[in-house]
Amino acid sequence: MSQFLSVFKFEVLYYARRISTYVYFGIFFGLSVLLMSAIGGAFDSVAVGFGGGGGNVAVNSPWALFGLVAALSLFGIIVTAALLGHSAQRDFETGSFPLFFTQPINKAAFLGGRFLGGLVTNAFVFLAIPLGVWFGALLPFLDAERLGPHLASSYLDPFINLVLPNMFFTGALFFGLALISRRMLPNYVGGAVLLIGYLISGQLVADMENEFVASLIDPFGGQAVTTLTKYWTVAEKNTLMIPVTGEYLYNRLLWIAVGFGIFALCYKIFSFSHIGPSLPFGKKKQTPVPDAPVRRRVTRVEIPHATRSFSGAAAVAQLSSMTQQAFRSVVRNVYFVAIVGAGLLFLGLSAPLVGELYGTSTFPVTYETLEVLEGSFSLFVLVLIAFYSGELVWEERDLKADQLYDSTPMKTWIPFVSKLIALSLTVGILLTVIMFAGLVSQAARGYFEFEIGLYIQTLFGLRWIDYILLCVIALLIHTLVNHKYMGHMLIIGLFVFTLFMGQLGMEHNLYRYGSDIGETYSDMNSFGPFLGPFFWFKAYWGSVAVLFAFVSSLFWVRGLEGGGRFRFRIAKLRMSPKLLGASALAIGLVMATGGFIFYNTNVLNEYRTSLQGEELQARYERDYKQFEGMPMPRIVAVDVEVDIYPEERDADLRGVLTMTNKTDGAIDSVHVNLSSTLDVQALDFGRSAQLVLNDEELAYRIYEFDEPFLPGDTTTLTFDLTRQVDGFGNSATLGVVSNGTFINSGLMPSLGYNANGELGNDNVRRKHGFEPRDRVAAVDDSVGLSNNYISSDADWIDFKALVSTVEDQIAIAPGYIQEEWVEDGRRYFRYEMDDPILNFYSFLSADWEVATDTWNDVDIAVYYHEGHEYNVQRMIDGVKKSLAYFSANWGEYQHQQVRILEFPRYASFAQSFPNTIPYSEAIGFIADVDPDDPDDIDYPFYVTAHEVAHQWWAHQVIGGRVQGSTVLSETMSQYSALMVMEKEYGEERMKSFLEYEMNSYLQGRSFEAKKELPLILNENQGYIHYRKGSVIMYALKDYIGEAAVNQALSDFLDETRYMGPPYPNSLMLLEHLRAATPDSLAYIIEDMFETITLYENRAVEATAEEQAEGSYLVELDLNLTKFRADSLGNESEIAINDLVDIAVFGEDEDGEETTLYLAKHWVTSGEQTIEIRVNGVPVQAGIDPRYKLVDRNKDDNVVDVTVGGEGS
Amino acid sequence: MELRIEGLSKTYPNGVRALDNVTLEVPQGMFGLLGPNGAGKSTLMRTLATLQEPDTGSAHLGDIDILTEKDRLRETLGYLPQEFGLYPKVRAVDLLDHFAILKGITNKKERKQVVDALLEQTNLTDARKRKLGGFSGGMRQRFGIAVALLGDPKLIIVDEPTAGLDPEERVRFLNLLSELGENSVVILSTHIVDDVSELCSRMAVISRGQILRKGDPAEAINDLRGKIWKKSIAKDEIDAYSDRLNVISTRLQAGSRVIHVQADNQPDDSFASVEPDLEDVYFTTMLGAGRSVDGEEAVQMVDSAS
Repeated sequence: MSQFLSVFKFEVLYYARRISTYVYFGIFFGLSVLLMSAIGGAFDSVAVGFGGGGGNVAVNSPWALFGLVAALSLFGIIVTAALLGHSAQRDFETGSFPLFFTQPINKAAFLGGRFLGGLVTNAFVFLAIPLGVWFGALLPFLDAERLGPHLASSYLDPFINLVLPNMFFTGALFFGLALISRRMLPNYVGGAVLLIGYLISGQLVADMENEFVASLIDPFGGQAVTTLTKYWTVAEKNTLMIPVTGEYLYNRLLWIAVGFGIFALCYKIFSFSHIGPSLPFGKKKQTPVPDAPVRRRVTRVEIPHATRSFSGAAAVAQLSSMTQQAFRSVVRNVYFVAIVGAGLLFLGLSAPLVGELYGTSTFPVTYETLEVLEGSFSLFVLVLIAFYSGELVWEERDLKADQLYDSTPMKTWIPFVSKLIALSLTVGILLTVIMFAGLVSQAARGYFEFEIGLYIQTLFGLRWIDYILLCVIALLIHTLVNHKYMGHMLIIGLFVFTLFMGQLGMEHNLYRYGSDIGETYSDMNSFGPFLGPFFWFKAYWGSVAVLFAFVSSLFWVRGLEGGGRFRFRIAKLRMSPKLLGASALAIGLVMATGGFIFYNTNVLNEYRTSLQGEELQARYERDYKQFEGMPMPRIVAVDVEVDIYPEERDADLRGVLTMTNKTDGAIDSVHVNLSSTLDVQALDFGRSAQLVLNDEELAYRIYEFDEPFLPGDTTTLTFDLTRQVDGFGNSATLGVVSNGTFINSGLMPSLGYNANGELGNDNVRRKHGFEPRDRVAAVDDSVGLSNNYISSDADWIDFKALVSTVEDQIAIAPGYIQEEWVEDGRRYFRYEMDDPILNFYSFLSADWEVATDTWNDVDIAVYYHEGHEYNVQRMIDGVKKSLAYFSANWGEYQHQQVRILEFPRYASFAQSFPNTIPYSEAIGFIADVDPDDPDDIDYPFYVTAHEVAHQWWAHQVIGGRVQGSTVLSETMSQYSALMVMEKEYGEERMKSFLEYEMNSYLQGRSFEAKKELPLILNENQGYIHYRKGSVIMYALKDYIGEAAVNQALSDFLDETRYMGPPYPNSLMLLEHLRAATPDSLAYIIEDMFETITLYENRAVEATAEEQAEGSYLVELDLNLTKFRADSLGNESEIAINDLVDIAVFGEDEDGEETTLYLAKHWVTSGEQTIEIRVNGVPVQAGIDPRYKLVDRNKDDNVVDVTVGGEGS
Repeated sequence: MELRIEGLSKTYPNGVRALDNVTLEVPQGMFGLLGPNGAGKSTLMRTLATLQEPDTGSAHLGDIDILTEKDRLRETLGYLPQEFGLYPKVRAVDLLDHFAILKGITNKKERKQVVDALLEQTNLTDARKRKLGGFSGGMRQRFGIAVALLGDPKLIIVDEPTAGLDPEERVRFLNLLSELGENSVVILSTHIVDDVSELCSRMAVISRGQILRKGDPAEAINDLRGKIWKKSIAKDEIDAYSDRLNVISTRLQAGSRVIHVQADNQPDDSFASVEPDLEDVYFTTMLGAGRSVDGEEAVQMVDSAS
């Protein structure tokens, strides 16, 4: 025992005396303080959101702290690999092991003492995290609103339950690796693989099926806790400690056991021997080479004289030789193979994830494949660069061959450049691996449109340059920081910092080393507007990199002087006129390219940090909110001419807005909002008016009429606006692009103060000195109801447009085409609507292929990009089925055409304008729907149906600007689409879709930033009006029948069609639904629409006894609870007297599930038993198996049936 | 070409004076730098090999200023460090070829000739296609000298080359070294006196950063002729003799103790005159300059006329 103690004490003291221990502590402490205070709102320009707590979860709540501590400790993997590895490997590194191993010490004491000493030190270092987080939370300049009570337990709890067991497991792993291999490199590789693998496998674990297994296989416990708290409400997150139960407990126990297992294994393998166990990655003693015998005589060998060269040509030869040497030592190495192998493994695992939506995949088109594979591999590449840059810089010194090299006449810049080239070539190999993996994964899915050119362009044209820039800075850091470990940490710190720089307010790409404005590839537009800026930014950063290279070669360690004083002296000596000249040139390039970029981003375009953007919004509210509600004219007609210039990315908008005074009083001034991206060439009213305010920054103008504008009067506003895009901004300007232009009526002038321009988020409002505001007016607010929620300056308008574009493109606006002609290389289209529309329209232009069809007398057209034919037929089909169902149930389709238009994937949504549906490239055109797979949701069909439904639900009836209005459009469209889907695919297939919707709703609840509301009052909350809406409406249909629901909807539509001010609200719809519901079921209206109601339904046990031949009596024990929740998620129980599905399932010969019984029963609260008679062997039984009721824990709705013996 | 070292001094950050005002003139030929471990030999060697910086002083090889014209010196430098490693998985001939390029031998044919010749001279021809990881200590040393000899260096620095070699390897190595030095300055730094006595025509003795003696080994030995006496004594008599006489060394010979004493005249009949060797020179220098195991005394430079 005393041996153990003495080894242990020695180890702890050893670390206590090393500076690096305190450096590690300091780094984690500082990082924790910084991150905590940033999340707590200490920095005005920082907007660090974390973990989706929404605005109401306190940043120091147990749940939030758990996430923060867990994330910080993840980076501790590196420290554990270093520390515990060092404890195990130190003796081999220093060569002192023969001394230790010949002492009379037993294995347990030696290994145990070392291991425990390392663990204790590691625990000390990790203690910095909860301490730092706590310290950060206590700092005075945090936003007090974001903090809850400070409980020591919320800081310590994650440390004890999460960090320490994780440390034990990883500690055992790394201790063992280093001990058995007697080298540190497996720890590097292992640490990197573990960290990256963990981060990547997070994606895999998003698959719902594997939840329990996923919770177990996550060695760091994060997934288990995520699963445990998946549906926690805001209130729960703020108060509850994470309980160590269920999957979380098993996970902890499992991985602690694994840690013990690893240690035990290594204990067994290890022995106090000179040569370690032979392993592929261990130190190998090479077979000795026999020496020639000593020559008896001294022979004189004539050494020929060789000409020597020290010129440029020699340098090239030397560079070439050094590069080959460096490249070989990186690549011909079992570790490199291991890293690449691990990378390939993750590539293989992530390849199936290419392009999934609703569980259905897209065709593995090349840009998608590249994005997924390159994205998941990029971490590997970064790690590789970080580690191998160190290994390369230190190679000669590690081998002790440095003195041989340093005394040769090779120029000092040659080793640096050769290592840079070697590292870059290595990265090139990795990129080739990605390409290969991509090709294989595409072929494996039967897709052969490889687009090799795109592979090469993206990987070697774009990404390689990015990585080479990183190689330069990595090598620079290792050169300057003459310490391998510190270098590694600094590089990783730099990478992380660059990632988060934007959130610290340093958003301009001129600061972030190596960055550019990004690029998104679209089949429609290729790299479009992104390539030019990419080139300039890379030229800029490339010049900076050249300067870095010069600095590296000045400070390159040659010889033995590593100390600062001598390195400066030597650097001065190395400074030659040539180098000075080259540096001056490089600096000149930096200034030139940087200046050009600055000119583009800040002069030709606007650059604003997020904070400045917020301040602008704040000023809008401060200066102009006083004018809210002032009477304004109403737009009644729009006649617009739009000229689109795709190549120049410019657009001109000219036209006339006709407006009427629909108020009771005279209007003497008009406030006009313009888009600040447009230049105003002319803006004139049809009556004389003076411009009294022209706020150019906010594009807000106030005009005063010379004569008052009387009620019933009409006038016009003639405008001439141009949108000119010059150069490039710090982030890309889209909208008008060379192929796939998509701009909307947001560019047009609008009248009156618009509250949408205000700051929304409560925390942000507080930061700028505002009170929190209501998102939307109350559901019956008369002012709210006087406007629709689409636009507050118009009701239903007449619309016509003349759109022009280049000759080879088609331009689209809402309306029926009246005329089309070509003039001067441009093509003109005149459109006109025959019925009034909402003041919401768009203009698109692209080089499309067109597929046409008809349904009755409605023209259907899909405008798609050549090559994207995959789902066009499906969409057309969707349109037809939708038109059929909707017009049968809710009245005629009011237009004569339906047009679907593909636009580039810069945004991924579909949107419904009058008879015009722009549809993103990304969400349906390349979907790969497997008609035979019951879990594959045909989402092109579904999205099409949803958008067509909006032609009724939004373009025939539109809600007022009040709570709940989105029910009338979004929820109704969801329901409509569900019905069409059900007709097409059958009821069975709806199950997986509804499960998806239910999960999304429940998760959305826990991310609520303000307050949750009942469906009928929701304030444009997507997770409610889409997800909960789907579930609720489907359940309603199940209860009262499809015919009844549809009739109610039809009656409502008849009542409110084209209703102008006052606009309808959701309560009106509810009345119709209530009328359609029998009295006995009246409670469901209240549950589903008017409150937030949840169940906790549990099937406890199910037993069955065979009665007669093949007939069984099933006894199902249930435990049911019902809750009403308030807006923060606080729940109170209410009594159950409800009608719910009870089901019994069997199995057919193929093992497929069959429904033996499905019917509604009246149930009450608490425990109860239900008896059911079925024909056929019961396998499972339960309550609400189709998830029609909102249930927090739906996995316990159904249980397996235990079948007893022969019955009574 | 001559190597001139003037007033070189270096003190390490922990206070250790590695070099203390070292001044030497080294002509062409073999020069031996003799001194105990920690005397500053390696520091001096590394400074001359452009790998370390002194605090003060200068060094010139011909007209090349070693401290400020490192690139020029390296063009004509051959350095065999005291400790060095090699790439274990690379073949000897390939690594030697690689270094030849680095030394500026860019012509492929010439390079091959030089490489083959050096491998032959160092008796490594048979092993040239084997991986360096399997080379014995002696083979690695010979490889190192082959690297150092690439490109006809005018300054060859060999730091403790025979430490750790078995007697056969040592003989072989010294044979090699003996061929050098006709046209270059060769500095052999060692604590093994026999190496210097066998090879060098000039030497210096260094201890604690200071040059204690410099000159011609033969003359230094000559100076001691007739002044060294030996006697076999018993173990417990050593202290008695040390008090009385200037005992410069004690060694064991076949189990009995033999002392060497420095005296102008025969101390007494029991002492026999003995032909002095370089070891005696070394010990007398170390002791005669006032060095003892404990206590520091003033340094007296012993400079034989040369």
